[in-house]
Amino acid sequence: MADAPKSAAPATKAPPAWRQRRYLFWLIPLLLLPLPFYLGQYKQYVVNLILVYVPVGVGFNIVVGNLGLLAFSNVAFFGIGAYTSGVLALKLGWPWWATILPAGLMGGLVGCIAGVPALRGVRLFYLAIMTLAFGELLRWVYIRWVPVTGGSFGMSVPKASINVFGWPLPTEGDKFYAFLFLAVLMVVLTDRLLRSRFGRAFMAIKGNEQAAAAMGIPTDRYILLAFAWGGFVVGVGGSMYAALVGHVTPIAFDLAELILEFAVVMVGGLGSLVGSVLGAAIITAAPEFFREWPGFQEMLFGVLIVLVILFLPRGVASLLARVHPIFIDRYYRD
Amino acid sequence: MLAVLPQLIVSGIATGMLYALIALSVTVGYRATTVVNFGHGDLVMAGAYATFVFVGSGLPFAPALILALASLFLFGVLTQRVFMQPIINGPHLSLAMMALAIGYAVRGGARLEWGSEVVILGRPYDQGAFMVGSVVLTMDDLVISGFVVALLLTLAIVFHITPIGRLIQAVFQSQRGAALVGLNVHAFHGMMWGAGAALGAAGGVLLGLLVPLSPDLGVYTLIRGFAAMTLGGFGSPFGAVVGGIVLGMMEKLLGFYVSTVFIDITAYLVTILVLLIRPSGLFGQRATVRI
Repeated sequence: MADAPKSAAPATKAPPAWRQRRYLFWLIPLLLLPLPFYLGQYKQYVVNLILVYVPVGVGFNIVVGNLGLLAFSNVAFFGIGAYTSGVLALKLGWPWWATILPAGLMGGLVGCIAGVPALRGVRLFYLAIMTLAFGELLRWVYIRWVPVTGGSFGMSVPKASINVFGWPLPTEGDKFYAFLFLAVLMVVLTDRLLRSRFGRAFMAIKGNEQAAAAMGIPTDRYILLAFAWGGFVVGVGGSMYAALVGHVTPIAFDLAELILEFAVVMVGGLGSLVGSVLGAAIITAAPEFFREWPGFQEMLFGVLIVLVILFLPRGVASLLARVHPIFIDRYYRD
Repeated sequence: MLAVLPQLIVSGIATGMLYALIALSVTVGYRATTVVNFGHGDLVMAGAYATFVFVGSGLPFAPALILALASLFLFGVLTQRVFMQPIINGPHLSLAMMALAIGYAVRGGARLEWGSEVVILGRPYDQGAFMVGSVVLTMDDLVISGFVVALLLTLAIVFHITPIGRLIQAVFQSQRGAALVGLNVHAFHGMMWGAGAALGAAGGVLLGLLVPLSPDLGVYTLIRGFAAMTLGGFGSPFGAVVGGIVLGMMEKLLGFYVSTVFIDITAYLVTILVLLIRPSGLFGQRATVRI
């Protein structure tokens, strides 16, 4: 390699150039912008569904990946977001865009409630079982609180309410732009959070909670914050789901949905923002292809998660990280 | 109102026996490997379907049941050795997800094969009922309770009288120590995981006597099993049994005297309240970390 003098630049220079080139990530949403001109309604619907699962995966990954807590309550945040949007639009006649923030806030509130046991020192499998029970309890409320939620049949979100500042979104292509904006916003905000002292605190807590507490990090506050922000982001995802599907039913937030969301996070990459987005893109589209054979989809997810855990513990994002250092997560350590 | 109390307690115990069996089967795997099998519900379901397949192939019920339990035992041993053991020292999330994913794949297989039809296991005995005083005892209650009690007695003998019990205690207390004194900890993990699967399968067969089989049969039973484990104290076999029976009775009593909604949600409430108020349950060890 003697005839390659260009690569002989000193390697110790900091920060490396790729860190400053992170703005290249903005190319992804920019390149997606003309998509509605090429896709039919159905394909556009699948793309929109992927965009819904971007915040869902991102929010889930904060608690499960970055904080490393075994919390199974993500479906509860997703459901409360969807129901908040649905109830506000149907019962109170709010336009959809005005329900996004309340949906996120409700998600954050439920996140705080789900995070309380973690503060009480409940960890590991205990936390998993408890959050599982919490999610199922909430789903039971959707089924039983018929006057508000419409019971097991759910409720329809009025088509006319799906608008942004009065600007209606009649086609999937129109929804796409609103969804793209929200998904990018959630990813960017979460990126900011993880790059701040909050993200570093999460990393410290995941590494060793006692040590983090001994260093003077108020672990309780950070754990609650992670649950709250995760709940907020997933709640916004729930609001998008309500607008996309137009029908909110309890069955959409059952244990099968939980495994779908786990698959998004695990296959994409634990604790990786890039991974959450990738996972959403890979996993969410799958159910649409296997609608006729529902059992096949479950088998596929099961086998996929098993393979990822055995052979690719950091998910697909770790493959990208090998290709280019721009994909390496600086706020995650094994 | 009070006249139905004995009846409620009796049918509560019969239901609770089923929860106790499921809770105990999870506890067996947990005590051996310190991993909770989140896919256990699907093994419960698989046990019922396996019995259905063997009965369908012309075998009488009892040999079919034994064959089904044996195949689930093998399945448990194999999945533990092939999938769980390589990551046993990894993060808890991977272990939980591995167990969940295996169960999910099993459920998918069952749905692919039988998802669109109603499968009924059928009782190998005549459905009848007896009056004892003012209490109605159904044949189902008797068969389930009798089977579970017999199974519990066998297990109690195995755990307390044979050396296996001491083996379990040794591995649960310190895997490294057990390995140092020459125990084959890995093989032991596999065997106990298999034993848990077989016990769960037995629970599935008993459940299959009462309700039609479906691929989702085990999932909600498992949540009740978890609630029973939590109530009795995690990791305590005795606690799992007591927790199951108490949970069964609580469902019936609260459901009758307070509101029918409690039949659905008692398990969830019990799980949440016990972990918040007394995480060690009735007979368990400390379940929380204090920072």
